[in-house]
Amino acid sequence: MDLQALLQSLESTALATTIRESANAFPALESVHVIGIALVFGTITVVDLRLLGLAAHRRSAQRLIAELLPFTWVAFVACVLTGSLMFIANASTYAQNPMFLGKLALLALAGLNMAVFHLGAFRRISEWDTTLPPPRPARLAGFGSMALWAGVIFLGRWIAFV
Amino acid sequence: MSSLPIVDWLYATPVSSAIRDLLWVVPSVQSLHIIAIAVIFASAVLSDLRLAGLFARDLPTAQVIRRYYPWMRGALLVLLASGLVMAIGEPDRVLVNSVFWLKMALVVVAFMLAWQVRRPFLRSRQGPGNDIERPGLAPLAWLSMGLWCVVIFCGRWIAYAI
Repeated sequence: MDLQALLQSLESTALATTIRESANAFPALESVHVIGIALVFGTITVVDLRLLGLAAHRRSAQRLIAELLPFTWVAFVACVLTGSLMFIANASTYAQNPMFLGKLALLALAGLNMAVFHLGAFRRISEWDTTLPPPRPARLAGFGSMALWAGVIFLGRWIAFV
Repeated sequence: MSSLPIVDWLYATPVSSAIRDLLWVVPSVQSLHIIAIAVIFASAVLSDLRLAGLFARDLPTAQVIRRYYPWMRGALLVLLASGLVMAIGEPDRVLVNSVFWLKMALVVVAFMLAWQVRRPFLRSRQGPGNDIERPGLAPLAWLSMGLWCVVIFCGRWIAYAI
């Protein structure tokens, strides 16, 4: 099955049809998506600012990350779920939207940035746990994360304008 | 056109038509608005969860609240400024919209509640080992988190209510 046929079969599911035809489903999904974005971006920014050297409510970077990550993940799952439901409602239109495709690319880069951090500076976090400012690789990861996630939000909003 | 003279006058001003004619302004300002929502919502939720006794319990409540309250205040200013640009650009969709006025009323209530709850912690000059604990504030903290969620829902519904 080629991609176009897959997208069209997604659109013709009962769930996609219900979302498309309901007056309230789309704004409700968007609202939950925004609440999820707020928690994802907000909690990540607290960590990113700490990585850049701006103290959070606690000094230990390791404990801060461990304490906030569960919130980030639960909110991210909420965003993926609501985002997927909005996507299937108009799958073939979104698949052609350059802003949507750019958003997916930035999400992948944000994931890559996180992976580099976790395999690099995070492994030696006990050496700089309470140091301000943290070492250069950690600062770069914090800056990259903030820029990429802000880009995800911008492209996400632009989806509706092209 | 609308029946309110102020809406017609605002719509006809050069600044209003400039906001509409420059096609990048509205999506960019809306993206900035979402980033500020993330800052105010995550700051509110983290300090409200500390007040509810579900977050950073090893730290004094005042330490968490003092860390995030200035971010809430700063984000509120960005939200009001970016919201003002949107209202000037599309007064015919915003100023005559009852969901918009409901949202404005709820923003006032939510921020006044947040400020009232945080005020004793911002004012007190106690050291880290001498924290004031106010378990009675937990229900207000939950009310505050719920109100911010309703504000976000209203914000998204403005686009659908006309």
